[in-house]
Amino acid sequence: MGEFKVHRIRFFDYMPSAIRAMAFSTRTERLALARADGALEIFNFSDNYFQEKVLPGHDGRAVEALCWVGPRLFSAGLNGEITEYDLENLRPRYTVDAYGGPIWTIGVNSQGTLLAVGCEDGTVKMFEVLKERIQFQRNLDRQRGRIISLSWHPSGTLIAAGMMDMIRIFDAETGRATHRLVVDRGAGASKSKEVVVWSIAFLSDYTIISSDSAGKVQIWDGLNGTLIRTHLITKWDVLALSVSQDESSLVAGTSEGTVVQFQFLSSTVDRLDKDWVRTRTFKNHSHDVRALAHTETAVVSGGMDTQLVVRPLLDKVEKNTRESAIRKVSFPHRSLVCCAKKAGVLLFQFPDHLELWRLGESDGYGKPGGSLPVKRGPEKLIQLKRKGEDHICCSALSPCGGWLAYSTVTSFRLYRLLNGSISICKVSKLPKDLRPAHQLCFSTDSSKLFASSSNSSVVVVALNEPECKYLGTLKAKYGCRQPVHLLSASENGKWLATANTDCEVHVYNLDKLKLHCTVPVYGSCPTAMAIHPTTSNLVVVHADQQIFEYSLVKKEYTEWSRRLQKQGLHSLWLERDTPITHVTFNPKNPAHIIVQDLFMFCIIDKSLPLPEAKNVLYNQMTLRSLPEPDRVLHSHGFKICKDFQHLLCVSLLEDHSLVVVERPLLDIVSQLPAPVRQKKFAT
Amino acid sequence: MTLQNNMAKNQRGEAAPSSRMTGRERQMGGFSLLLESSDDEGPEEVTFEDSKADARRSMKRALDTARREKELLKEKRRKRQELFQEQKKRKLLSAEVLEEIDSTKQEQSHVKAEEEAEPEEVEGRKRNWKQNAARNLKGNYTVTTVKQSTLASSQLKAAEDFLHSRMYGPGSRRTTSNEMLSLENKMGKNKSAAVQFVKKNWACQKKAKAEKLKKTWIHMQQIPSS
Repeated sequence: MGEFKVHRIRFFDYMPSAIRAMAFSTRTERLALARADGALEIFNFSDNYFQEKVLPGHDGRAVEALCWVGPRLFSAGLNGEITEYDLENLRPRYTVDAYGGPIWTIGVNSQGTLLAVGCEDGTVKMFEVLKERIQFQRNLDRQRGRIISLSWHPSGTLIAAGMMDMIRIFDAETGRATHRLVVDRGAGASKSKEVVVWSIAFLSDYTIISSDSAGKVQIWDGLNGTLIRTHLITKWDVLALSVSQDESSLVAGTSEGTVVQFQFLSSTVDRLDKDWVRTRTFKNHSHDVRALAHTETAVVSGGMDTQLVVRPLLDKVEKNTRESAIRKVSFPHRSLVCCAKKAGVLLFQFPDHLELWRLGESDGYGKPGGSLPVKRGPEKLIQLKRKGEDHICCSALSPCGGWLAYSTVTSFRLYRLLNGSISICKVSKLPKDLRPAHQLCFSTDSSKLFASSSNSSVVVVALNEPECKYLGTLKAKYGCRQPVHLLSASENGKWLATANTDCEVHVYNLDKLKLHCTVPVYGSCPTAMAIHPTTSNLVVVHADQQIFEYSLVKKEYTEWSRRLQKQGLHSLWLERDTPITHVTFNPKNPAHIIVQDLFMFCIIDKSLPLPEAKNVLYNQMTLRSLPEPDRVLHSHGFKICKDFQHLLCVSLLEDHSLVVVERPLLDIVSQLPAPVRQKKFAT
Repeated sequence: MTLQNNMAKNQRGEAAPSSRMTGRERQMGGFSLLLESSDDEGPEEVTFEDSKADARRSMKRALDTARREKELLKEKRRKRQELFQEQKKRKLLSAEVLEEIDSTKQEQSHVKAEEEAEPEEVEGRKRNWKQNAARNLKGNYTVTTVKQSTLASSQLKAAEDFLHSRMYGPGSRRTTSNEMLSLENKMGKNKSAAVQFVKKNWACQKKAKAEKLKKTWIHMQQIPSS
């Protein structure tokens, strides 16, 4: 099959950021996630939980709460500002200062007309949601103490606000505080500390459900202001609450990492006598759960352990199907590593800096599976810190290792690397059409730079010293508004393929700088693509694990692709829950396609037969044990290797050695903040 | 008639001493001679002048004591101040050094004043001050402005501190990632050691410390034997 020398890299210290808040939009089936460094991520729940968009963070934008108002996304943070985001250009649209100090919570009424924010100075501020902006309307009665959480009653007339030691109910029209519900402090040592009402929910039957730092979930009568029931679910804080759309189920997230579900059930068969009963407990996190969302069929949780967990509820989905499996998203669905194939140099993208490393060398020969002695170790060449407060959005390294570019939401920078990538100098004269980009790509001969811009267009720039010349803008057909998240240039420099989050794939002819063709739209978003060097076939892999091969010359799907679609992919292949993030080819064998996802990389051999449903998909180990002549009988075209785990990048260098960048999960977990101390028997 | 005169005299206070004395005698006598009754005698007569003089005397006494106390305090304070002055003098440089510095300062200012073509007084003073300030800096110093932390950023910091103290502050009963992972190792299907022994690059400082301790122990063991 193939023998490769593997550069096994574990020095990429990628550290994800803790999940701070999330909001689910039922209309669009999108989940918005806010992380501690200010980054925002949008997941498409109807497309195999693919991470569609990532908005980079910003120093000092400490997002505390998120809110969807129809298709618009708002966030409020401890910097005292409310921000609306432009999801088509992946940047904040504008910010409005609430002038109330740090903002702890945000909530919209069910009509979508008023936005309420809870501030540090004790005021609940009301903002009118207008077409292009929000406008301050008025303050509700100012309270003595910070407003930590708030919830609108579905009718839009009342607001329940959780504060320190108490809950206040406001009349939204008059602004008066009508009821004051006193929350008990914890027992024992916590009696001296104030209890914080971390989260609150107001149901349509005027029941208020609150969760606090003493570990209680309390159910109150909102009309009379009395306590109905207390459930003590943990010894630590209950940080998040989420109620389902039909108000029959509620989930609470604790500092222990557990998510407790309560359901509105009756103890007898008849419909009367319903009460909130604790039903299930999920322990999917090792650290505090700070954000929760209750969708129709699943519970989505995230917290300090940086993983997003989607737990389908088994009474809503069919058991033992792909839909009922638990999903964990621990790594981004896009590549943070760029490999310069000719130079043997790697570029690692961090939110606040870039690192350039040279690969090590080894002379020896060995058996498959063994490790070779390292002659010269890898060395870090350059660490480039970003300028300004915005985090790095995208970066790229040219294949020759001579050019480096990165972009934030406000600036774009290009650098020239000299002396074998040791010295770096900034290219100052950039054409003004080169604005901040969402995705960057260098051509294979390192003569051109492609930067994706607004409205799915791509700016082409010729790389020259000292000044770079603007060559042109490749425009997609009219009406494409979504950002381009994939760029791929062909090796002969003739074609450029772009894919946007609207599932549109466009191919441009670089000689004429015009649109060549548009690949027929497939319902799932493309996650990786590449153009074959010799046959000029475009290989696109989608979020639902489908693979397509499109011939750019003939403008139709290839024969192999049609055969694959007719037979269908193996069920185990389709059940994988992490998307393919990289597609590349083997210069020595034109029939090979190398694809990689988080847990495996696979060499697809088009010359071999496709695996049928009854075949074993992961058959590499069994094939090795068979004698030579038998192997041909049993082998199929999908050769999967799972030796390296938590792969961030797999790339093939010019000298035919494989570069594998791993990030073991244990390394990340060991650097997380302190979890709660749990006493276990016999330890 | 005499009785009435006597009574009138008594009223006028002439016979007062005698009556007072007799009153005292009576009092003293009252202890020994219980038989003597004081019912027949009239009440003691204290004249107005007498009481006025009495009051004046007591006031004078009070004023005197207050004045004395004040003076005492003043003395104390003066003594303490002197002590401090002395201590301060001891701390400062000796007078000669000060004189020297002073003289050079004056020279400098004189020189500067001569050189300058006589700008306004204010400028001259400014220049002197600057000159002195410049003279005090030795070596390479650069002056940069500190990034002004605005009200918003200080409030943000305060809010983050509040969150941090509620979640990780005292009373939050937290442990380390190492402990949590080690517990998992102990209770997992394949039981293994604590993570700091399993992973090579964990707890480097602790391991270095342990190595050092081991070396010193071996060294100490070797000394008595050699």
